[in-house]
Amino acid sequence: MTASDSIDFDFVTNFEQVNGVNYSSATSNGMHLLTVKQADNGWPRDATCVTLPPHLERYMTKIKSSALMLSCALLLASCLLLAQSPKPGEYPRGAKPSPMMNFFVTSETIGDGGNLGGLAGADAHCQTLATAVASGNRTWHAYLSTQARPGQPAVNARDRIGKGPWYNFNGEMIAQDLAHLHGDTMELAHQGNNLNKLTGLTEKGQIVPGLYDYSDPRDSDWDYAKNTRFSTRHEMLTGTQTDGTAFPDSQDHTCDNWTSNKSPASVPANGNLNAADGRPNAQIGFPDRNGGGSGSWNSAHGTRGCAQTDLPKTHGQGLFYCFAIN
Amino acid sequence: MNRMARPHAYVVMLCTLMLSSCLLLAQQNAPNTQGIAPPPGSPTPTPARMTFFVTSVGVGKGGDLGGLAGADAHCQALATAVGAGGKSWHAYLSTQARPGHPAVNARDRIGTGPWFNWSFAQLGQPQNAIISADLGELHGDTLVQAQRGSNLFKQSARNEHGQVIHGMGDAPPIQHEILTGSKWDGRAYTDDADHTCNNWTSSTTGSAQVGHSDRIGNGSSWNSSNATKGCSQATMESNGGAGLFYCFAIN
Repeated sequence: MTASDSIDFDFVTNFEQVNGVNYSSATSNGMHLLTVKQADNGWPRDATCVTLPPHLERYMTKIKSSALMLSCALLLASCLLLAQSPKPGEYPRGAKPSPMMNFFVTSETIGDGGNLGGLAGADAHCQTLATAVASGNRTWHAYLSTQARPGQPAVNARDRIGKGPWYNFNGEMIAQDLAHLHGDTMELAHQGNNLNKLTGLTEKGQIVPGLYDYSDPRDSDWDYAKNTRFSTRHEMLTGTQTDGTAFPDSQDHTCDNWTSNKSPASVPANGNLNAADGRPNAQIGFPDRNGGGSGSWNSAHGTRGCAQTDLPKTHGQGLFYCFAIN
Repeated sequence: MNRMARPHAYVVMLCTLMLSSCLLLAQQNAPNTQGIAPPPGSPTPTPARMTFFVTSVGVGKGGDLGGLAGADAHCQALATAVGAGGKSWHAYLSTQARPGHPAVNARDRIGTGPWFNWSFAQLGQPQNAIISADLGELHGDTLVQAQRGSNLFKQSARNEHGQVIHGMGDAPPIQHEILTGSKWDGRAYTDDADHTCNNWTSSTTGSAQVGHSDRIGNGSSWNSSNATKGCSQATMESNGGAGLFYCFAIN
């Protein structure tokens, strides 16, 4: 290389593991530019930047500021790329919902516990959130069942969401059809649908913070949890059995058909999340398949009550699934 | 040198500043789910009462586990190392029928349950400690059980040290492909194809059926998601596995 050579900033990125620690490094034309040390959880933790060997320093005089800026921009871009690894609750930078998106987890709760304003109120919430991310051209329904009442037949969540296939924020398929989504046959049930921690995204593209993601005990306190988008919130209201139909019994599985924000008269014993006579309760499921009961996406266990402050006690916040029916 | 470097000093400084702010940003709210140690607030480990774990390491020779006997011995050794050697441990693995050797079903090797992970807790307690109450729940023998799934999921399927197995979305190496050689019902395959790395003796050719400890990938099955591309340790490690398997205590 002579002083008159222009330096071509072809970046080479290397990943290696040394003594159990992951390192990402960038080199250009043999110059070591950047090393990023990754923590156990994969996020960059420590970095050394732009170290040039002495014998190359004099060639730097030939590099114009613009070239340096370019390299800087490239470095920054690669750094941002690293930082873009999905962190629960974080917004993906610059990303917009896929035009195919017809499924999402609500990024925000309505805020009144199990009182969603009935099915109509829940559907409107879906529509509002979708509209805010320019996806309001579809008709959105909440994945919720209601139980039979005198003069009012039960409504099954599975009958409200169209026929599929459904795709998430990234355009990834959640399920091919109703049978795939619910596991209508033994084969399909064992295979499972494609809803999981990395695909069960909000309309803003966020992974839903779940069990032990941040391990903040304050997450069970709504007054704290409501102020951060990183608080645990992976319990989706469904009011539904595993097959997507409403519960046929007389106990409350739907916070009184999504109109109740009541707490139980007496605090249930730790661990008792089953429906019980007279206790306000809603059945929930996990988009990350990662929670007590069974890991079911739509029917894992009940709640401590229907007040907004009851839901975070078991890692919920009153979020639910939205599906577009067209 | 100094004369020429100065005009660029601001650019370099700006670059460094931008980079460091970017890295700082990346550090915020870093999740700790992929922890090597059990996360804060986890129950106290009680390995002596543990009856289920995922092996923290494989045997090291890919699909060659030394047959079922070798795999069982691996379970026993890992359990013993953490003070859980007082029980009889079996690997959750099937073998396929061979002339003179009938098939062995993984589900017939692991006792009757209930099974608990490293943080033993009573039935009904929401501590993600119970893996499953019985064989039917574990395998989803009825349609409702199959739709629900068992309590074996990413945060409960710990290794014998109580550590989470790195899964999809975690830092590499991802090790969520768990050897089973089984169909979703926990039984051996009956066709002629290799689903067990030649009954857990091959570290070269062949293939093994795996499940996903984080229940992510080709559906959400813990015990029967897909087949490995080969039986060598290197092949498994380059495809999200490490030759790990499930261990259950039968008593």
